[in-house]
Amino acid sequence: MRTFRIPDQVARLAVLFAVAVVALVVVRHIFVPKSFGKLGHYRAAAVDEIASQSVRYAGMQTCVECHTEEAEKKSSSFHRGLACEVCHGPASEHASDPEAKKPFVPRERGACLYCHNYLPSRPTGFPQILEKLHNPMKPCPTCHNPHDPTPPHVPGTCSACHASIARIKAISHHDSLECETCHEASPQHRQDPRSALPKKPTNREFCGKCHAQNAPSAKEIRRIDLATHGGRYLCWQCHYPHYPEGR
Amino acid sequence: MDELFKQLAESLSQVSGFIYPNEAELHWALLVVIYPYLTGLVAGAFILASLEKVFKVKEVEPTYRLAMLTALAFLIVAPMPLLAHLGHPERSFEIFLTPHFESAMAMFGFVYAWYLMVVLLLEIWFEYRADVVKWSESQKGWRRLAYRLISLGSNDISPKAVAFDQKAVHTITLIGIPSAFLLHGYVGFIFGSVKANPWWSSVLMPIVFLFSAIVSGIALVLLLYYFTTLVRRKTPEMSCLNKLASFLLYTLIVDLSLETLDFIHRLYESEESIKILSELIFSKLFLSLTIVQILLGTIGPILLLAIARFSRLPDELKRVGYFIAALLIQVGIFSTRWNVVIGGQLFSKSLRGLTVYKMQLVGAEGLLVGIGFLILPFLILFLLVKLLPPWQESRSS
Ligand code: HEC
Ligand code: HEC
Ligand code: HEC
Ligand code: HEC
Ligand code: HEC
Ligand code: HEC
Ligand code: HEC
Ligand code: HEC
Repeated sequence: MRTFRIPDQVARLAVLFAVAVVALVVVRHIFVPKSFGKLGHYRAAAVDEIASQSVRYAGMQTCVECHTEEAEKKSSSFHRGLACEVCHGPASEHASDPEAKKPFVPRERGACLYCHNYLPSRPTGFPQILEKLHNPMKPCPTCHNPHDPTPPHVPGTCSACHASIARIKAISHHDSLECETCHEASPQHRQDPRSALPKKPTNREFCGKCHAQNAPSAKEIRRIDLATHGGRYLCWQCHYPHYPEGR
Repeated sequence: MDELFKQLAESLSQVSGFIYPNEAELHWALLVVIYPYLTGLVAGAFILASLEKVFKVKEVEPTYRLAMLTALAFLIVAPMPLLAHLGHPERSFEIFLTPHFESAMAMFGFVYAWYLMVVLLLEIWFEYRADVVKWSESQKGWRRLAYRLISLGSNDISPKAVAFDQKAVHTITLIGIPSAFLLHGYVGFIFGSVKANPWWSSVLMPIVFLFSAIVSGIALVLLLYYFTTLVRRKTPEMSCLNKLASFLLYTLIVDLSLETLDFIHRLYESEESIKILSELIFSKLFLSLTIVQILLGTIGPILLLAIARFSRLPDELKRVGYFIAALLIQVGIFSTRWNVVIGGQLFSKSLRGLTVYKMQLVGAEGLLVGIGFLILPFLILFLLVKLLPPWQESRSS
């Protein structure tokens, strides 16, 4: 019987391969951190490492223990959702030794603008101001207590809070319409917006009051056939009501 | 900083429609164009080489070794643009140490390593072993040492051992073909599986990539073969060139059909992206897609090849025809990669606007670095050819 001999080439390649495998194992042993893969595709020891870093934020619960007055004030104000350290910066050192270390107190206007300066992308109804127009040169705390920022008097116009809508409406075909023409809003909405939301139009007939063929509105207003125009869709599925385009 | 702002301002002046703030600048730039281009050449050159071994196409034999060395030279360079683009190339080996099986990008490392080690190096080793042994006897000095090292001391060149070498080459080629498909199909997969990008997201992507890879690989080997025979003052074998040209013609036609299929499919589906994509094709990509890729890079070479191949032109003219066609194909395939990579980032995710790509001249991702990565494989190939001459006359048997 012929015995099978491994060809010389293969034997030599096998040695090379074995060396490569051993090298890989050695390199893995040296370079892969010991705790890798224990919890997932990462170094488990990283968790302890991060946990061992010193705490910089104490958390609002801690501040409340000593500063009951501010905390109480804030808890029923517009700023109830904000933590102390959002404005005062990390204050863990202060909390453990109040006399030695004083936290940052943000008295300049810039600190509030970070959240309140006008930006079109901020959500509807979020209180926004134009820094240059809103009582310039005076620090905000002269009129707004930062822990209870309710304005000294109730805003007179819807644009104080709905600035982006007001601005775009002002350059639209609907410029001549008041907000209240389409939104029935109680005065309470301006004091505590979320507790009394205004009404919004709900059907096509609403717009038809001015735009239907037989509507008793001014002659120059463009008319459409309420029965057929735009199919069964609501008007504002095609026309943005605060900036309607028809041409 | 001022420089950056100036650059941004210049780009923004060419933006049209609506784009999101993070879309003004492209994140995948020139180097990511070069990466699929280079891997494509590797896969193409290898598949050409395998024609001779597996399908026994005798005519292309003179290009076999050249094609293998070309594949190797380009494979060595292929991941470099990627590493340069990502930064921290020194960390790249970690994906081998702690493999992450759910990341397609990480698995590329393994496809690459497999292809380099198990397919290319092994096949070249078996193919050259007998010659290397003989060279190690006939040469002197450092060359002798190098050949000794390469042969791993395996000096048996009895007919039986050589026959085993040839069998091994055959087997490896058989494994190599699917591997080459995997290597480049994978690159297409990476793009094709970006489901948020309608320009990329297509199941046809890997297949289109593959065929364009084969086209570019064959064209490159044709160019190299023609060029190297001229440099060595030989006449290229016409039967070989004719065969290469035929293959080139056929794969080019398949490639064009696939891309047309993709195009028609998109038109017929008319998804919400179709408007912005057609705007893209007719504005920002008009030159590189319609003119360079389709007219110059595909239709032109198809006509040129067909005329040169099937007419009664004298051989000299035919060769010139093939040469020009292969050159045009290289330009065309490069712009294919360009149109995929850059084109896919020129339109906004809002499908409402287009941005521009401003290529830098210097800098880590600039034009000069890109040109460097395109020249480097030829330098490596030059060294490889010096060490392991692929010409028929340098075979010792
Ligand atoms: C252990 C009790 C204690 C805790 C806990 C504590 N503070 Fe104080 N904090 C004090 C005392 C006492 C003062 C008054 C020091 C003074 O007037 O000299 C003070 C002063 C301050 C001041 C005024 C600094 C100034 O310059 O006038 C701020 C702001 C402040 N604390 C914020 C915080 C915040 C935020 C936290 C929670 C991270 C916090 N404190 C937690 C005891 C505490
Ligand atoms: C919206 C940002 C903001 C938040 C949130 C906030 N503060 Fe203040 N805090 C200020 C500003 C601004 C001042 C300075 C007021 C001034 O100069 O009249 C201040 C002053 C103080 C003072 C010093 C009072 C004084 O008269 O010197 C204390 C104590 C204080 N804050 C504690 C707190 C605590 C405790 C919390 C969390 C319950 C808190 N703050 C949350 C902005 C904030
Ligand atoms: C971290 C973000 C943040 C900062 C900083 C901040 N605020 Fe506010 N502010 C809010 C939020 C959130 C509300 C509540 C909005 C709501 O109810 O929808 C609010 C509400 C208000 C209101 C009430 C407006 C209304 O609806 O009548 C005023 C006024 C105000 N902030 C003033 C200030 C002043 C002054 C400062 C600077 C001391 C300040 N804010 C700093 C987030 C911030
Ligand atoms: C001179 C006093 C004064 C100063 C200083 C002042 N505000 Fe006001 N702020 C008001 C009054 C009054 C209103 C009520 C709305 C109106 O009439 O414009 C108001 C309204 C607001 C509103 C809009 C929400 C609303 O209810 O209309 C925000 C937000 C606000 N202020 C933030 C600030 C910020 C931030 C600063 C500092 C940059 C600041 N204010 C400085 C008096 C002041
Ligand atoms: C003090 C600030 C403020 C003023 C002033 C104000 N709003 Fe609002 N408005 C809000 C807030 C906050 C919301 C709630 C936004 C949310 O929940 O997304 C809101 C919501 C609305 C909505 C949407 C209701 C819904 O169901 O989505 C309408 C409509 C509206 N306001 C109209 C008005 C009109 C009209 C005026 C003027 C008469 C006005 N608002 C004045 C703060 C204000
Ligand atoms: C021509 C009628 C019309 C006028 C005038 C009008 N609105 Fe509206 N508004 C609508 C309609 C209709 C909707 C509902 C849109 C929807 O549901 O998509 C709406 C929605 C809203 C909303 C909630 C949705 C959103 O876009 O954020 C707010 C807030 C609002 N309006 C505020 C105002 C304010 C403030 C003014 C005055 C500056 C105003 N509107 C003027 C018709 C009008
Ligand atoms: C399906 C979308 C759609 C809907 C729903 C729709 N519109 Fe239009 N509307 C249009 C388009 C598009 C135009 C542009 C003019 C045209 O070709 O009809 C237009 C034009 C108009 C014009 C200007 C007509 C002129 O002669 O210039 C008015 C006014 C108008 N629409 C009001 C309404 C009102 C009121 C409703 C609700 C009853 C409504 N639209 C619903 C799509 C719509
Ligand atoms: C109180 C009357 C009134 C109501 C209610 C009203 N509009 Fe208008 N609309 C007008 C006026 C006035 C114009 C401006 C006409 C002009 O400039 O020619 C106008 C213009 C338009 C235009 C622009 C037409 C053009 O010339 O291009 C459209 C679209 C439109 N409105 C849609 C609507 C929609 C949608 C609604 C319902 C949400 C609505 N309107 C409710 C009075 C009204």
